[in-house]
Amino acid sequence: MIHTPPRIIVENINKDFKIYTRPQDRLAEILLRRPRHKLYHVLRDISFAVPDGKSIGVIGDNGAGKSTLLKLLVGTLQPTSGSIQTHGQVAALLELGAGFHPEFTGRRNIYLNASLLGVPDDDIAELERGIIEFSELGDFIDRPVKTYSSGMYVRLAFSIATMVRPDILVIDEALSVGDLAFQKKCVQRMNEFREQNKTMAFCSHSMFHVQELCDIAIWIDKGEIKEMGDSHKVVGDYENFCNNKKSYTSVQEDLPAVHTEKQPDQSVGTEEVLQDCKINSLSVCNTEGEEITAIDPLSDLVLEMEVEVLNDNMEGHFGFAFMRSAEEPIASFLTTNAEEIELRRYARGEVFKVRLVVEKVAMRVGEFYVLGGLADKSGLLWYETKFSTQLCMNANKGVGPMTMQATWNLDA
Amino acid sequence: MSLALLRDWIVTPLSDRRLVSNFARQEFYAQFTASMGGFLWLILTPIANISIYAFVFSYIFKVRAAEGFGETAFVLFMMIGYLPWFAFADAIGRSTSLLLEKAPLITKVKFPVQVIPVVGTLVPYITHAIGFSLLLLYLATQGYVNSLWVLLPFIFFLQMLFTAGLVAILSSLSVFLRDLQQLVALGINVWFFLTPIIYPLSMIQSDSVKAYFLLNPMHSFVNLYREIVLRGELPLINLQIVIVVSLVSYLFGGWLFMRIKHAFGDVL
Repeated sequence: MIHTPPRIIVENINKDFKIYTRPQDRLAEILLRRPRHKLYHVLRDISFAVPDGKSIGVIGDNGAGKSTLLKLLVGTLQPTSGSIQTHGQVAALLELGAGFHPEFTGRRNIYLNASLLGVPDDDIAELERGIIEFSELGDFIDRPVKTYSSGMYVRLAFSIATMVRPDILVIDEALSVGDLAFQKKCVQRMNEFREQNKTMAFCSHSMFHVQELCDIAIWIDKGEIKEMGDSHKVVGDYENFCNNKKSYTSVQEDLPAVHTEKQPDQSVGTEEVLQDCKINSLSVCNTEGEEITAIDPLSDLVLEMEVEVLNDNMEGHFGFAFMRSAEEPIASFLTTNAEEIELRRYARGEVFKVRLVVEKVAMRVGEFYVLGGLADKSGLLWYETKFSTQLCMNANKGVGPMTMQATWNLDA
Repeated sequence: MSLALLRDWIVTPLSDRRLVSNFARQEFYAQFTASMGGFLWLILTPIANISIYAFVFSYIFKVRAAEGFGETAFVLFMMIGYLPWFAFADAIGRSTSLLLEKAPLITKVKFPVQVIPVVGTLVPYITHAIGFSLLLLYLATQGYVNSLWVLLPFIFFLQMLFTAGLVAILSSLSVFLRDLQQLVALGINVWFFLTPIIYPLSMIQSDSVKAYFLLNPMHSFVNLYREIVLRGELPLINLQIVIVVSLVSYLFGGWLFMRIKHAFGDVL
């Protein structure tokens, strides 16, 4: 076994910000050496280590200190106390395109940005083609960056940061930007990164991405580590924490229109269709095959969606979820998690059915929706999701939100 | 500890030369790309200023070039001082906004921040060196050239070191004191009139007052250029002053900058 030292070692760091009520107080403090600030503790006693080749996800509420932690890792902020060691080259996507000069062409900005990351000019020349190709900017590369759309901006920044092949990549919410096509490439790039056993530090509000992309997760709450460890476990606990905090208010309102058709533009035949497949229909049936809208507790359900393949060699993942609202899942079933399923490649034009049998639904009361979804082969990028009509539980006798198959046994 | 800081500062132009040159190139061209006039403004501003001063001082006030500078026209006499001054004033004037403009970069990307004041000094000096060289070229065709001219690049370089130190100080302090911007603009104006650029020092009668001008390093620089170019003489006292002042400024400014650069991320 090869033993490699951890890529990132963080020991007991604290970060305080000094809050001054007036800017001149800062000067007065320097001159008079009497404190005139209020201390704001952003991070308190954070310690962790990231082994080489592992990825770490940082989760937590807004303002918990996630971004500050990432900035400390990158080195643009210094900890108030404690130490941070990173081994190898660090590239950061804290704010996409932070170093761009709007008046200059994309090409010139590549050079400046890459030299900021410490890449020698000769190497940049080699990487340049790859960067331009990946960013899909085409002729725009020789136009000033200020003429770019925000999507193009982000594409260029992401291409540069990942093309320089850093040892450690720090990303702050980068996946949430860009169109579907670009998200797909980002996911690919990040997966490549993982396959090369590079280290990533990643902060996101997408629990799904943290689970899929990170080995370790850190949950930061009010500047302190609340939980750290296996990403599935930490994310699960965090979700639970969030759900408990949330009061049940808007069950209906945040639900998208049921059965919204999101048709990809199929008129262009030769161009590559971004989405590999689409959902034609989604149905919820009982075991007899009849569509239903009301369910008895502990009965079995058959969830079925018809999928049409739009690209050759489609390899995808499928998933169903029970949702209380668009934002609030109750249960999920994903082929990414089901190792016994063998996924085959599909050819363009194929239409097939994905069926899931759910046994003994343990809910007792309430309404929910079934969501069907299609993801790419990495399981990170969801092309399309579709909601069923509302389903309602026929509550049985008893109390509480759940019920279970149970057997009584009374010793006489 | 502080020696390591000084060393980092001194080697920056070498160890990070790629970054410095990429940055400098970017900033240099940025002067021309944003506005339509671009390059034109760079030439028009000094020409307009020189014309105004020439009109006011040589036509209205009838100021003559100091005795000993011979038949030299007042305009040329003034330009020899004004063009290097313009490089200095340009660099100092921009220094207060250098780091503030680059705030997104400094807070989001880890890189040797000290290249910013280095580039911030380099670019105006390169730009105005062009104008100064053209003037010298013209003077050379007029028969002014002499062997001491080989010292001119050296003195210009010292002036750049002197400026770099001040730029480092002003740029880093302006992060904490935003009011510095106005103060520096005002200071530059005062400094300009306290430096014998648009008037010869010989116009000042009192010797004791004249001695005070030695406290102004920019006077020494300007005087060196004039004495060398127009008279082929080397005023040693001025040379000694600029060598010492330049090194002190460069080293102290750099040390201060390196000392407080870690706090930039918190404030910007």
